[in-house]
Amino acid sequence: MPEQITTVQAACPECDALIAFERPPLNGQVVRCTDCSVELEVTSINPIRLEVAPEVEEDWGE
Amino acid sequence: MSDLHVPELNDASAGVRLLYELVATPSVSGDERACAEVFVRHARELGYETEIDEATNAVAHRGAPAHRAERHIVLLGHVDTVPGEIPVRIADGVLHGRGSVDAKGPLAAMLIGASRAELPDGVRVTVAGAAGEETAGSPGARHLVGRFRPDACIIGEPSGWDGVTLGYKGRLVARATARRAHGHSAGPERSAGDEVVGWWERVSEYVRAFNEKRSGAFEVLQATIQDMQCACDGLEQVAWIEGGFRLPVGVSPEGVASTVRALGSNQLQVDCSGAEVAHCTTREDPVVCALTGAIRSVGARPRPKLKTGTADFNVVGPAWGCPIAAYGPGDSSLDHTPNERLSLDEFARSVDVMRRCVTDLAESLAAPASATFDAAGAGSRLR
Repeated sequence: MPEQITTVQAACPECDALIAFERPPLNGQVVRCTDCSVELEVTSINPIRLEVAPEVEEDWGE
Repeated sequence: MSDLHVPELNDASAGVRLLYELVATPSVSGDERACAEVFVRHARELGYETEIDEATNAVAHRGAPAHRAERHIVLLGHVDTVPGEIPVRIADGVLHGRGSVDAKGPLAAMLIGASRAELPDGVRVTVAGAAGEETAGSPGARHLVGRFRPDACIIGEPSGWDGVTLGYKGRLVARATARRAHGHSAGPERSAGDEVVGWWERVSEYVRAFNEKRSGAFEVLQATIQDMQCACDGLEQVAWIEGGFRLPVGVSPEGVASTVRALGSNQLQVDCSGAEVAHCTTREDPVVCALTGAIRSVGARPRPKLKTGTADFNVVGPAWGCPIAAYGPGDSSLDHTPNERLSLDEFARSVDVMRRCVTDLAESLAAPASATFDAAGAGSRLR
């Protein structure tokens, strides 16, 4: 019998596309919207809330 | 208890007292023993089991005993500093002193934060202050590579209390030396100085060509002259240039060493040292997620960072292959400077973030669903 996959979904705040997670995401995880390619951070997991992720900064030093 | 008698510490928290005493105890690389003893003394007072190992690493453990631990989190900072004494003082809520940022602030934040974290059964947390991080080869961290095989690791280096460091560039140092019999400067022959400068010009052209289609400090190959000398005693000319290279992900120190040697000539000897491989994690990494979530939970917007320097991240990251990120209070632009200082408010915030992060990470590790501790969910990797 094939394994049943439960998906959870959330809407991209930029383009409203539905983003599906095969497993519950981690709080703080960053995913990419498959429609508009924007990077999104999971800021809440119950319910799932997505925000545009902060840009990665470049810094020097240790 | 500490026997320090410093008026500014009368009403200070245990964390600030630990931080102050670590910073006030000199620990230039190779001379870390006294500072390691301060670390383990405070760690015992916080309830840790402690040791100073053969490499003079100061190590503190809590949670499940080693033989019963199912999951292991290692928080790895360093106790050593670069030379340069800075009078230790607290003024206007800021601690001034060598190592306050790099990296006794991050180390103290890890020890205090992890001591307050809630740990489920079977989870062991180790906080280690490595020796020799500021020297080529990082002997303390390399010793720990063989001792531990953790499920998750946080490196204690300054990212700012609301920052999370995802990766560090690699490094290589190459020194080209030319020697030749002294001749008249009006003669036709190239001098030893000409030889090493010619080598550096060829290296610079190689670096320019390599970077042609790259942009961003983390993506490019950086090459700078760190030191140089040209001398003559009347009989022999000796000239050398030492170049420092910062390597992006995917560029091996061995490959760069081979290239810069090939750009030499039969008049030159090129010696390479200080090789470290660049290492970078992803924004799906569970440790990055735990730090990001902890920073969010105190109401701040996390700042992910990539660093052009190197750290023990480069040593243990590739060796352990576990989820990893670097975190700690402080402005890394103050590393190694005469102005090294740390805001005590920032320090307190980072202690809270560390407590929340370790609690969350331990809970995630202990959960049955984390059997592989892969990043959960969908989405593409950032890099």
